[in-house]
Amino acid sequence: MGVTCVCQVPVSEGKSVQQTVDILHKKLEQLGAVKQGNFWVDCETYHATGNATGQPSKLLYVMHNSETPLSCMALFEGGPGLSADANFDVLMVKLKSHFQNAKGHKVESRGVRYRYCDFLVKIGTVAMSSSARGISVEVEYCACVIPGDCWNLMKEFMQSFLGSNTPELPTVFTSKAEGLSVPVDCMDTMSQYLELFGRVRKQQVLPGSGVR
Amino acid sequence: MMSGAPAVRVSIESSCERQVQEVSLDGLETYAPPLSMSQNLAKLAQRIDFGQSSDEDEDGPERDSREQWSKPEAEEDEGMVKFQPSLWPWDSVRNNLRSSLTEMCVLHDVLSVLKDKKYMTLDPVSQDPSVGKTPQVFQLLSKKKSLATAAQLLLRGAEKLTKSVVENQEQRRQRDFNSELLRLRSQWKLRKVGDKILGDLSYRSAGSMFPHHGTFEVIKNTDLDLDKKIPDDYCPLNVQIPSELEGSAYIKVSIQKQSPDIGDLGTVNLFRRQAKAKPGSQMWHLKLEAAQNVLLCKEIFAQLSREAVQIKSQIPHIVVKNQIISQPFPGLQLSISLCHSTGEKKNQRASPDKSKPDDHLYVLEHNLHQLIREFHKQTLSSVVMPHPASAPFSHKRLRMAGPMAYDKAEISSLQQSEGLLEKIIKQAKHIFLRSRTARTIDSLASRIEDPQIQAHWSNINDVYESSVKVLITSQGYEQICKSIQLQLNIGVEQIRVVHRDGRVITLSHQEQELQDFLLSQMSQHQVHAVQQLAKVMGWHVLSFSNHVGLGPIESIGNASAITVASPNGEYAISVRNGPESGCKVLVQFPRSQAKELPKSDVVQDGKWTHLRGPYKEVHWGRMEGRNFVYKMELLMAALTPCP
Repeated sequence: MGVTCVCQVPVSEGKSVQQTVDILHKKLEQLGAVKQGNFWVDCETYHATGNATGQPSKLLYVMHNSETPLSCMALFEGGPGLSADANFDVLMVKLKSHFQNAKGHKVESRGVRYRYCDFLVKIGTVAMSSSARGISVEVEYCACVIPGDCWNLMKEFMQSFLGSNTPELPTVFTSKAEGLSVPVDCMDTMSQYLELFGRVRKQQVLPGSGVR
Repeated sequence: MMSGAPAVRVSIESSCERQVQEVSLDGLETYAPPLSMSQNLAKLAQRIDFGQSSDEDEDGPERDSREQWSKPEAEEDEGMVKFQPSLWPWDSVRNNLRSSLTEMCVLHDVLSVLKDKKYMTLDPVSQDPSVGKTPQVFQLLSKKKSLATAAQLLLRGAEKLTKSVVENQEQRRQRDFNSELLRLRSQWKLRKVGDKILGDLSYRSAGSMFPHHGTFEVIKNTDLDLDKKIPDDYCPLNVQIPSELEGSAYIKVSIQKQSPDIGDLGTVNLFRRQAKAKPGSQMWHLKLEAAQNVLLCKEIFAQLSREAVQIKSQIPHIVVKNQIISQPFPGLQLSISLCHSTGEKKNQRASPDKSKPDDHLYVLEHNLHQLIREFHKQTLSSVVMPHPASAPFSHKRLRMAGPMAYDKAEISSLQQSEGLLEKIIKQAKHIFLRSRTARTIDSLASRIEDPQIQAHWSNINDVYESSVKVLITSQGYEQICKSIQLQLNIGVEQIRVVHRDGRVITLSHQEQELQDFLLSQMSQHQVHAVQQLAKVMGWHVLSFSNHVGLGPIESIGNASAITVASPNGEYAISVRNGPESGCKVLVQFPRSQAKELPKSDVVQDGKWTHLRGPYKEVHWGRMEGRNFVYKMELLMAALTPCP
């Protein structure tokens, strides 16, 4: 468990999602990274029902990550989140009367996992109902848990293969009350993914992106 | 009245003068007051029989005859006696006493006369022999009859005694069976099914999941002849164990060179040890223990063969009959076999392994037993039970994996992924690697005398890791030449060498690598020793290189070289030492000592003759000295002239 940074890489012009992903893979392999299996992150949306006022109901997002295969994370956008056992999914089924599943809004990101010494790079294709919508890149530095200490190193590493697409310091770290010297949590990673998925959902459907 | 006889005193005591009226609570007796005169008279008067006094008047006319007169007189006397009691109450007593005294005196006189034997003797009455004589036959018959009756009585008594003794023995045997059963129950699990007593000798209650039932039956031992003597090891209780658990078994783990013929597999079925009977332990105990051991060995072997078939490895494991064969290292074979002997005297095949007595790795056999017991314990451990209804059956810490978002590394560290076979193969590999390393070091130490190699093995080891510290020294110079110290960590497949100067080198399992490495270190040690020696002797080190690039190429490691100059600068010694090429020592002399010097126009001044000039090789083999450093010291001393 280390400091993670999730960012979105725009699809290169004239190329499809798959081709952009392949370019990134090649860059990483040239760098010397080693393929270490696959990964997936998915997110399901639940509406809270039974609202007295006419306010739009809060959306609950239930996410899974292959890095923590036995856990299930549930969070509200910008709000509190919790990490639980895998039985949480079963619990959500039982709470059908209070939280309804928005089946069409399931987003997931699947791809290859690379390891380069202490760095873990996951390049995934973000898909919503089997149509590729974007590319997510997650870089994790496993040797450190304080974002303030290793952000510069991570940025330099990301610049080596992402080039101009390198992101800034993620807002989850800057918005924390205690600052950048607080150890990271799995919820930080999930919030970043949630933001990314939200952006992808709002995007238009990419032209030419076929069924994965 | 007697005359002439001495008076005999007779003392008379009245029993009780007065009657006790009452006894008070403190023991004081209150006597009834004696009767007064008038009371006494009244009492006596009551005793008068006035009817008799009327008879006195009727007998009046008969008073004429004396005889008749004596009777009434007697009666009268009696009446008068009654009437006058106070006259002589002791009369009868006195008369009786007097008569008895007379008799006693007579007897005394007779006895005293007899004593003298002059006037009177005692003589037995002579028996008439013809009168009371019985014939001998009658005597015999009578004796016989009396003896017979006596004998019958005695026999009847003896019969009763034996009957009671036999009954006691029977009871004791009955009690023995029960006490044996009690003892059996205190050590083994028993239960009663119908009219049979069954027991359980499996490890199921300890956590085993082996499907064997492991039940034995307790039977009464009734085949005992009461007439014969009871044997010493007689036990009233016998156990019947299932036929497949009879005999004894053990697991043999051995490492040997790869057998060329695959048909040799499956021939291990030898039996080599007898169970030592502990004194005081019953036969049923030994039988049950042996059967339990057989069951455990079967379980171990079943688990190993199951894993051997299921687990995929680079070189597949072979399971043949009662043997599992795998290859830990190329050219080596690890065989784990279940040796079960049913106790028959003859072995089907002759044991071929008698020539290699220490082939069997007892440590690994013991470790197998321990591993399977650990596995049992884990099924039952309190880490697993009790557990909440929503959690899966696994380690307690894994329940927190969900909420704490453990990643894959943390989860795999909590979960056991290795089976019994993998563990035992790793242990066997480590044992083999360790023994081979020791053999390599020892062979080098015995082969090479200069420099010396010492190995200090660590006492504390792991099943997968051992360590040894190797020192390369020169004899006599241990304090100054101690720069080569190596720490070898022997793992499962590799040896990690940590040098004193900080380098970490990983060697594979090949013993040639270790040997080459140690040889190269030994050659480096010689050159290091020269450097240290120079410091001590006051010589200056001009150049030093661990890995020189000049000269012939070594196949093992690199050659090292050093050049040292004498304190006054006149001489210099150059040493080049390589693992294969040996050592080469050259001495540089000042120009003044050289035999032929090229005359030159440039160098004309006499002072230039003090510089060092040509080199000359030293015949190192002909140098005096026990070892290299000693020889070097002598050379340095020889080249340092006395002031």
